[in-house]
Amino acid sequence: MKPHILIIDDNPINLRLATDVLEAAEFHIIQAVDAEQAQKLLIDVIPDLILMDIALPGMDGLTFTRKLKADMRLRPVPIVALTASAMKGDDRKAIDAGCAGYITKPIDTREFPRQVRSFLLAALRPGGSLAEQP
Amino acid sequence: MADLARQLWDETPDAVLAVAAGGEVLFWNRAAEAIFGFSSAEAVGRTLADLIVPSDRLEEERVVRERAANSGVTVYESVRRRKDGSLVHVSISSKAVKDSDGNLSFICHTKKDVTHLKVLRDSKLVETRFRDLLESTPDAIVMVNVTGRIVLVNSQAEKVFGYQRSALIGMPVEMLLPERYRAGHHGHRAAFFAQPRTRTMGVGLDLYGLRNGGEEFPVEISLSPLVTEEGTMVMSAVRDITNRKKAEQKFRGLLESAPDAMVIVGRDGRIALVNSQTESLFGYPREELLGQLVEVLVPARYRSKHPEHRHGFFAQPRARSMGAELELHGLRRDGTEFPVEVSLSPLETEEGMFVLSAIRDVTDRKRYEQALHDANRLKSEFLANMSHELRTPLNGIIGFSEFLIDGKPGELNAKQKTYLADILGCGRHLLKLINDILDLSKIEAGKLEFHPETFSLIAAVEEVRAVVSTIARDKGITIGHDLRAGIDIVTLDRQRLIQVLYNLLSNAVKFTDNGGEVFISAEAQGLSSLCLRIRDTGIGISPENICNLFIEFRQLDAGPTRRYAGTGLGLALTKKIVEAQLGTVSVESKPGQGSVFTVILPFAPAAALTDRSAESMPV
Repeated sequence: MKPHILIIDDNPINLRLATDVLEAAEFHIIQAVDAEQAQKLLIDVIPDLILMDIALPGMDGLTFTRKLKADMRLRPVPIVALTASAMKGDDRKAIDAGCAGYITKPIDTREFPRQVRSFLLAALRPGGSLAEQP
Repeated sequence: MADLARQLWDETPDAVLAVAAGGEVLFWNRAAEAIFGFSSAEAVGRTLADLIVPSDRLEEERVVRERAANSGVTVYESVRRRKDGSLVHVSISSKAVKDSDGNLSFICHTKKDVTHLKVLRDSKLVETRFRDLLESTPDAIVMVNVTGRIVLVNSQAEKVFGYQRSALIGMPVEMLLPERYRAGHHGHRAAFFAQPRTRTMGVGLDLYGLRNGGEEFPVEISLSPLVTEEGTMVMSAVRDITNRKKAEQKFRGLLESAPDAMVIVGRDGRIALVNSQTESLFGYPREELLGQLVEVLVPARYRSKHPEHRHGFFAQPRARSMGAELELHGLRRDGTEFPVEVSLSPLETEEGMFVLSAIRDVTDRKRYEQALHDANRLKSEFLANMSHELRTPLNGIIGFSEFLIDGKPGELNAKQKTYLADILGCGRHLLKLINDILDLSKIEAGKLEFHPETFSLIAAVEEVRAVVSTIARDKGITIGHDLRAGIDIVTLDRQRLIQVLYNLLSNAVKFTDNGGEVFISAEAQGLSSLCLRIRDTGIGISPENICNLFIEFRQLDAGPTRRYAGTGLGLALTKKIVEAQLGTVSVESKPGQGSVFTVILPFAPAAALTDRSAESMPV
């Protein structure tokens, strides 16, 4: 059974890149372009991990992360932030919102599947998360 | 006979007057009019006390009148007042005239003006006694008797006023005063003789002397009473303060020409002098400030502390400036405040120590600083946004190129692979440029933070070497190092050290021709810093180019045909990163003989304080 990854990114090219890279590494990908679409998908599916773009139109990625972390059903799903921002403090904000970690864009396609896999493994460890809990 | 008698009254040089038993004047001849200034019509019917007896001689006058009434003729010398208030020395003979019943009908007085005789007598007296003493003082000395006549001058007085001694003795001292002060002078003298004590005049007043020829000059005068058997005299020491006034004028000119508000304050905190810039800056007219406590110019919330600061200054008076780091404010008359910078200097004067404070309104500068600050913030925001916007498409360019090169969607031919490698190279170059620009702007905004950690220097060097070695291998360049365990464990910002190493190492490889060599060496400089050297056998740098080396976008071989890829930011950024950690970067190079870049980085303080031996360091 392939791990199910929900990727939420409004940029169709970046969405396709992440999808293709992860599919080539034997992941099963579910796509959403914004929080609204993702929420609809999450009614029927609980993925193993969510890759969340931070700069989303409508509800932004950090707000959406907080919302998902407040939902008992979805709380265990690790969320990894995808961000093109390199400003100081953005990483902290992602962790504070409840993300297990973050990956900066541009992604390194050779490393990307390994990074995602290690977040998955960390989530499977009892009480495990790669990020320190605040 | 009556005519002759009449003529005699009129022509006698002495004043002749008759006073009734009740004290009123019955008769007043022409000489009396000439000496005292009152006409017969003015005098007759009034009492002598009313007319010519100074208030301090009333008692004497009463005694003499009684004596004359009882014992015939009385002769004495005294002082009488003229109509204009000036005094005159007179020799008086008084005789009571009685009727046939032996009752007093009037007293007859003759009064001779002996002012000049008296001057000669006084002059002789003081000359013999004080001449030598007075010649030795530096001031001009003018001695005056009670009638205001000059009885003695020293040679300095002759020089200062421009008169021969003979032209001064016996003359009213008013001749040495400008016309406009003369009328009031009798009153001042009377006041002095009424309460004779030493006093200084001129400080705070504008007094002037008058030279022979009409030239006025500023003076300071001290007066001392001199009690002699010929009566009390006044000795005035006159100092010509023309030069001092000129210096003062110069000082004031200097104050006025200063761009800042200048306020001179005494030990007591009172304002002694201000310039016109002070008036316009604080909105007070000068006269309202003089004598006020300087605290009126200080906002109320700072006032209570201010005298303490002032005492501190006077305790250790030396020039100092304030406001550069402090937020100081001035208070205008209308209650508004404005930011100031103040510099204080001690001002030594004859009247003691003062503080000269130059006050600069820094409203405009603060406004510019704020505008600059805002502009910098906007620039940083802009760069952050731009960086985000540029990275998003780069994600696609770099990601898909890599994915294709790796053959994930299917195998490519060699040419396709080469083109894709070029796309990938360009994408990575662009990304490096964006990252470097962002770092530079963070350094300029002082926002780059350093996070020291303790780590293995050898591992860090190996990490960078692994990244650079791909290119090095292609060019047949060897990268060696002499790092040993002795200086392996260091405490620095690891990420930034790697950035610096990467820039210098890739730079060395880039500018070294095929088959060359790059060598890294490291040593500790005492316990305080790390010295890293990156040596190459590359093209080297000419002396005139070395100074451009660390400037942004100044790749030496610039232009569209340049041989070497690169952002032109690497070395500039390296220098700033190192200097932001209080280190230095330097280079030694000769064209054709390679270059040596030397980085000296101080260890993070916490580590520098601990034992730096490898065994004891936490890993």
